[in-house]
Amino acid sequence: MTPVPQSPQYVELHCHSAYSFLDGVSLPDELAARAAELGHVALALTDHNSVSGSMEMAQAAQECGVKAIHGAEIDLAGDRSEIGQHITLLVRDERGWANLCRIITLAHAHTRDGPARRDAGEPSVALEQVLERAGGLVCLTGCAGRSVVIDRSARRSPSAGAGRSADRSAGRFPIGGGGGGAVDEAVARRLLEAFGSESLRVELQRPYARHDRARNRALSALARRLQVACVATGNVHAHAPCRAELQDAFVALREHSTLDASEPLRRGNHSHVLSTPAAMASRFADHPEAVAETLVLAEQLAFDLTKDLGYRYPGAEDRRAGRRLSELCAARLEDRFRSSSGRARALARLEEELAVIRKLGLAGFFLLHHDMLELAREVAVEVRGRESVRGLLAPGRGRGSSVSSLVCYLIGLSHIDPIANELALGRFLHEDLRGLPDIDLDFPRDVREVLIPRVHDRYGRDCAALVAAFPTFRARGAIRELGKVLGLPAASLERLARGAEIHYAPDRGHDAPEHGPISDRSVLDGGAPEAEAAVAPTSSPRWRWLERLVGEAYGLPRHLSQHPGGMIVATRPLIDCCPVVPAAMEGRQMVQWDKDSCADAGFLKIDLLGLGMLSAVERCVEEIARVRGERIDLSRIPYDDPDTFAAIRTADTVGVFQIESRAQMQSLRRTQPANLSDLTVQVAIIRPGPIQGGAVNPYIERRRRLREDPGFEIPYDHPALEGVLADTLGTIIFQDQVMEVAEVFAGFGAGEADGLRRAMSRKRSAEMLARHRERFIEGAQRHVGADARTAERVWQMVEGFAGFGFPKAHSAAFGLLAYQSTWLRVHYGPELLCALLNEQPMGFYAPDSLVHEAAHRGIEVLPLDVNASQVQCAVQGSAVRLGLGYIKGAASAEVQALVAERERGGPFTSLADLASRSGAARGALEQLAWSGACWPICWPISDRRSICRPISDRRSPAGEDGRRAALWQLGIAVPAATAGEGTQLSLPLGLGRAPRLPKLGRWQRLIADYATSGVTVSDHAIAILRPRLRVPGRDAVSLATSAQLPRLPSGCAVAVAGLVIARQRPGTAKGTMFLLFEDEWGTVNLIVSAVVYERHRHLARAEPLLLARGRLERAEGVINVIVRELAPLERYLAPDADGPLDASAQASVHPLRPPAGAETAAEAPAESDAATADSNAAEVGSSMRAVAPPVTSFAMGRRR
Amino acid sequence: MPNSTSIPLHLPRPARVRTATADHRSASRSASGAPVEVDGRQVAQVRESWLVEDRWWTERPLRRRYWEVVTGCGRNIVVFRDLEPAGRWFVQR
Repeated sequence: MTPVPQSPQYVELHCHSAYSFLDGVSLPDELAARAAELGHVALALTDHNSVSGSMEMAQAAQECGVKAIHGAEIDLAGDRSEIGQHITLLVRDERGWANLCRIITLAHAHTRDGPARRDAGEPSVALEQVLERAGGLVCLTGCAGRSVVIDRSARRSPSAGAGRSADRSAGRFPIGGGGGGAVDEAVARRLLEAFGSESLRVELQRPYARHDRARNRALSALARRLQVACVATGNVHAHAPCRAELQDAFVALREHSTLDASEPLRRGNHSHVLSTPAAMASRFADHPEAVAETLVLAEQLAFDLTKDLGYRYPGAEDRRAGRRLSELCAARLEDRFRSSSGRARALARLEEELAVIRKLGLAGFFLLHHDMLELAREVAVEVRGRESVRGLLAPGRGRGSSVSSLVCYLIGLSHIDPIANELALGRFLHEDLRGLPDIDLDFPRDVREVLIPRVHDRYGRDCAALVAAFPTFRARGAIRELGKVLGLPAASLERLARGAEIHYAPDRGHDAPEHGPISDRSVLDGGAPEAEAAVAPTSSPRWRWLERLVGEAYGLPRHLSQHPGGMIVATRPLIDCCPVVPAAMEGRQMVQWDKDSCADAGFLKIDLLGLGMLSAVERCVEEIARVRGERIDLSRIPYDDPDTFAAIRTADTVGVFQIESRAQMQSLRRTQPANLSDLTVQVAIIRPGPIQGGAVNPYIERRRRLREDPGFEIPYDHPALEGVLADTLGTIIFQDQVMEVAEVFAGFGAGEADGLRRAMSRKRSAEMLARHRERFIEGAQRHVGADARTAERVWQMVEGFAGFGFPKAHSAAFGLLAYQSTWLRVHYGPELLCALLNEQPMGFYAPDSLVHEAAHRGIEVLPLDVNASQVQCAVQGSAVRLGLGYIKGAASAEVQALVAERERGGPFTSLADLASRSGAARGALEQLAWSGACWPICWPISDRRSICRPISDRRSPAGEDGRRAALWQLGIAVPAATAGEGTQLSLPLGLGRAPRLPKLGRWQRLIADYATSGVTVSDHAIAILRPRLRVPGRDAVSLATSAQLPRLPSGCAVAVAGLVIARQRPGTAKGTMFLLFEDEWGTVNLIVSAVVYERHRHLARAEPLLLARGRLERAEGVINVIVRELAPLERYLAPDADGPLDASAQASVHPLRPPAGAETAAEAPAESDAATADSNAAEVGSSMRAVAPPVTSFAMGRRR
Repeated sequence: MPNSTSIPLHLPRPARVRTATADHRSASRSASGAPVEVDGRQVAQVRESWLVEDRWWTERPLRRRYWEVVTGCGRNIVVFRDLEPAGRWFVQR
C-alpha cells in the first residue's frame, strides 16, 4: 500500500505492541510500517510496564520516516482497591527516559519475591514513587478502563471484581451518576503538582463502549477545573484489522479462559486497531481540542532513543588501558611464543592488532573481558575444588570470531593459537568496525551458574544485568494455547500440534495468510487422506479460526525470558539506560532489551555461555581420575591419534561434540578427515550457509578427487579466489571467507565487507543483500576483470551463505572440542558415556539411544538399583551404573537423601526398610518400585540369593524382576512425611507378602522403564516386537534389520522397522524429512521426500514406532533408505496368541543373515517369553506413544 | 414444580428506524447512520452510541451498532442495527 499523503490531523500517543505480552498483537516494526502507510507522522509506543519494544520501534520508525515517541503504561499499586490503576507516561527528554526506566524497574522489583520466584507476579509501582520521578516525563491520566483519575468507588461494572482481566478492557468501567463525572480530583491534583500543567494531560478515549461520551464529558470538565489540556488517544492494540481477533483470543489466554467464557473481559469490539489520523479525528468529533493537542504534544516529545543513552562500559574511558593491554600481551607473548617458529609472525600480528585496538579505543574493552575471565578463574577453583583434576583445564574458552584474535589468545579469552591456525582477524576486528566486537566465552555449566551472580556482585547490581530474550509463539504452542481458547477438544489439538509445521514462516501482511502453519488441510477440511490422520473431522469455524489465529500469532513474543548468557555491564547505573527486572533464577536480573536492541543501543554484551560438552569433558576427566587414577590434561593429549581419526572417519562418533548428528556422520564417511584442519572444516560444513551456498557437494567431491589423485587441480571460479578459498578447495565454508571474497574479488573495503556479513545475519537481510549485490558484481568486473557471468556465479555462492555459517575461528575452537571428546570416547568410553548421561539434556541423542549405542560397543550399562546407584550415573568396574537422579517424579532432594541414608546406615535390607529410612515420599517410592530399582530387596532373603546373578539377567527364576510385588508392598508401607522443616520418618513395620501377581512381560517392563526413567538397559523395543512382525506380500522378504542393510545391494526394495530417535526437516532441505530409526542392531537413516512426507505427515512427525518401505541407496559408505511409504508398526503385529516366534521371525526377515558377531547376540532378545505377547497391537502403539523417549528435531532459532 | 423451560426476557424486537442522511446530519448534527425516527417517534437526542463485535469464532458472529436515544416524548430507547448481515434494526430495553 502506498503511503497516504495528507496533512497530519492526529498523532497516536497510546499504543501497545506485542511486548505488552498477551495485550497487544503487533510487532513494533509492523506498527511503524502501518503508521507510515496510514499517514501518521509520529507514533508513541506505550506497552504495559515495559520498554522491551522501544528500541525496535525506534529503529523501525526511523526506516519508515515516522517519529517514534517512547513511553509506557504504568500499573499503579493501590491500597484502596484490588485492581490497580493506570497512567500513561511519555518521554520528553533524556532525563525523562532515565526516570521512566527507574519507574519500570521499581514496578518489577517485587515480581519475583517469595518462593514462587519462577512465576513472575504483576508489576506495579506506588503513585508516590512515580511522582518523585516526574522530571522529563509527560503524564496522561490513563486509559478509559483504569484511569487514575476515575473514582473507582463510583464504578458500577458487574465485572469490577474480575481482577487484572477487566482492567485492560477499555470502556468497561463507566462513570456513575449518569455522566455526572465521578472523577478523583484529589489524585488529579497530586499529578498536577508533580508534573505541572505543561506535563499533564487528561486522556480521552473513545473505544465505542457505552458511557464513553459521559466519561469524556466528565474528564473534560476535570481538565477545565485543573486548567490542563485534554488529549485524545486510541489505545491501539493491533496494527491492522486482520490481527483484531487475535487480541480477543489473547485476552482469553491471558485470563486462562476461553473465548466463550471471557466475554465480560474483552474489549467488545475492534476499535483498538490502528486507524488513519482522519478517522481518529472524526472519532473525537466532540473534542476537537483534544485531537489538536496530540500534535502539540508530539512536537514537544523530542527524545530520540537512537541517540546516545549515556552508556559507557567499565574501562571505556581509562586512558592507561592501552598501555596496560600492551604490557599484558607482551608478557604473555614471551611465554607462549618463546621457542616457537611463529614468534616473528606473532610479534607482527600483535602490533597490528594493538594498533587497530588503539585506533578504535577498545583497550578497555579487552581488559574488561580479561578481568571477567580472571573472575571466572577464581570461581572455577571454587567450584571444582583446588585438588580436582579439572583444575588442569582453563575456566572457560572462547568461541566465535574472537578466537581469531592474538590479543584474545594472549589474555586468555581464546585457547586457539591464531598464528599456527592461520586465522584471519578481519571478521572480528578491523579499522572500519562500527560498534563493539563480539566475544563469546564458553564455560562448564556449573562454573557459569556461579559466575553470573558473581559478575552482578563484582560490577554492582545497578551496573550489571543479563540480556533479555523473547520466546515467540511457534506453531505447536500456538495450536495448543489458541485451540484451548477456542474451546477445541484437547486430544485433537495435541494430535494436530504434533503434526504441525515447525518451520512455518508466515508471509504476513495485512490480510490473513492463505496457508498457515497447519498445512495438513485434512484436519481443517474434515477429510482424512490417510487412515490415521482423522484428527478433527469437522469443518466448524473454530478450526478455521484456529489456523488463522495461529498464523497471526506466529513469531509474536510470548513473554520475557533471559538470554542464555549475554551480560551487560556499565559504569553508570544501567537502570538509567534500560529497566532492569529480576530474572526467574535466584540472584539474576536482566535488562528489558534483547540482544538486538542492546546492540542497537551500543551496549557491551559479554556472552557467558554454558556449553554442555565442556561440562561433560570435565566430568569425564574427573571420572577417569576417580576410577583409573589418571590425570588427563586435555590440552596435552596427542592431536594426531590414529585411533581417534579412525573413529572419526568411520563416523563412530555418537555422543561426541558437533560431529555426532546423522548428517555429520554421513558427511564424515565421505570427507575422511585426517587432521584438525579437516575437522575445522567438517564442523562448519553442515550449516545452512554452506548448504545453501552450494559448497557441500563440491567440497566433498574435490576431497575425493584429491584422495584419488593428489595432483588434482582445484577448479576455482576465478584465479583471484585461490588465495582465500584454498583451504576449502574453492568453496565458501566459513563466514569470514565471504568477507575475504568480497575484498579480493569485488574490491570491498574491510568495513564494507563486514557490512555485507552483517547484512546476512540481520532480519531483513534480503533487502540489504540486494543493495550489496549490485556493488559486488560491478566491483568484481572492475577489480579483477571478472566477466559478468563469473561475477554472478561467485555472488550466488556469497548470497547462498546468507543462512547461518561459522567463522573459521569458531570452527577451529569447536573442532578442537570435537576431537577431544572423540579422543575420550575412543580411549575412555565408559567414563565419557557416564559424563554424557549426567549432563543431559545435551547433544543429538537421548540417553536411551546413548545407552543402546554403548551396548553395541560392549559397554555394559547397569540398571537402577536402590542399593548400588548413586544420585548420578557412575562408572562401576568397567560398566556404567544409571543414577537414581534419572527417576522421573522423584525430587532431587529425595534422591540425595536416599543415597545419603544408605551411605550412613548401610544398604536397605527390605522394602519396609527402604520406606522407613529413605525419607522418600510415596510417589518417589512407587516410581522406584516400578522402575525395577528395588529388585534386590523385593524378595525374602531365601529367594534373593537365587536371583543374584549377572545384572543383565537380573530376574527372578520366573523372569520377573519383582516390580509388581514391590509396588504392591510399597503401597501398604507408610512413607515418610514432611513435617515443618524436616521429614518425619515412618516406623520400620514389616510389610505383608505380596499376593501372586501376574508377571510383567518384556514389553511391559520396557514401558515401565521408559515411564519411570526414560531409559531401558534391557531389550530394545524392536527386539521384543520383531518376532510378532507380520509383513504381508512381497514386503515380507524385504524386511531387513539395520545390521543387514550394509550387505544388501544398492537399489533393492527394503522394509525396515524402527523406533524413531531423530526427526529433522531443515529449512534447507526443501520439504524433505530425515528420520533416524533405531532397532536392536543399530540405526538406519531414512529420507522422506516432500511428497511422501505430505502423505504421512502425522506418522512422520509423531509416531514413535514405524515401518518404512522404500529403496536402499548406498554410496561412499553412506546408506539411506529412500522411503516410499510409512506405516505404524502396530499395524503389522501378530496377535499374542502366536506366542514365541523365533522360527517364524527368522523366516519373515530378509533372507540375508546378520553379521556373525551380531547373530549370536540376536538370539538373546528373541528368547521365549510367554509374556512378550502381553499386549495387543493397539496397546503396543498407545503405550509407546505415551512414554517414548524424546526425539531430536530441528527447530528454528528464536526470532523476535 | 418449577417449569424447566426458562422464558427469555427483554429479547430484541424488530423496529422501524429511519436514519440520518446527509441532509439530516447538517440539520440535526447527527452522526451518519444515527436514528432520527424510531417506530414513528422522532428522535430528539442521541445520548450514546457503541459498537459490539463478538462471537466471530462461531457460526453466528455478532456485529451490532447500538444507539441510545431520547424521543420527542421523552422516552429513552436503545436500538441497534445488525451490521452482519447488514440492515435490520431492533429495539432492546
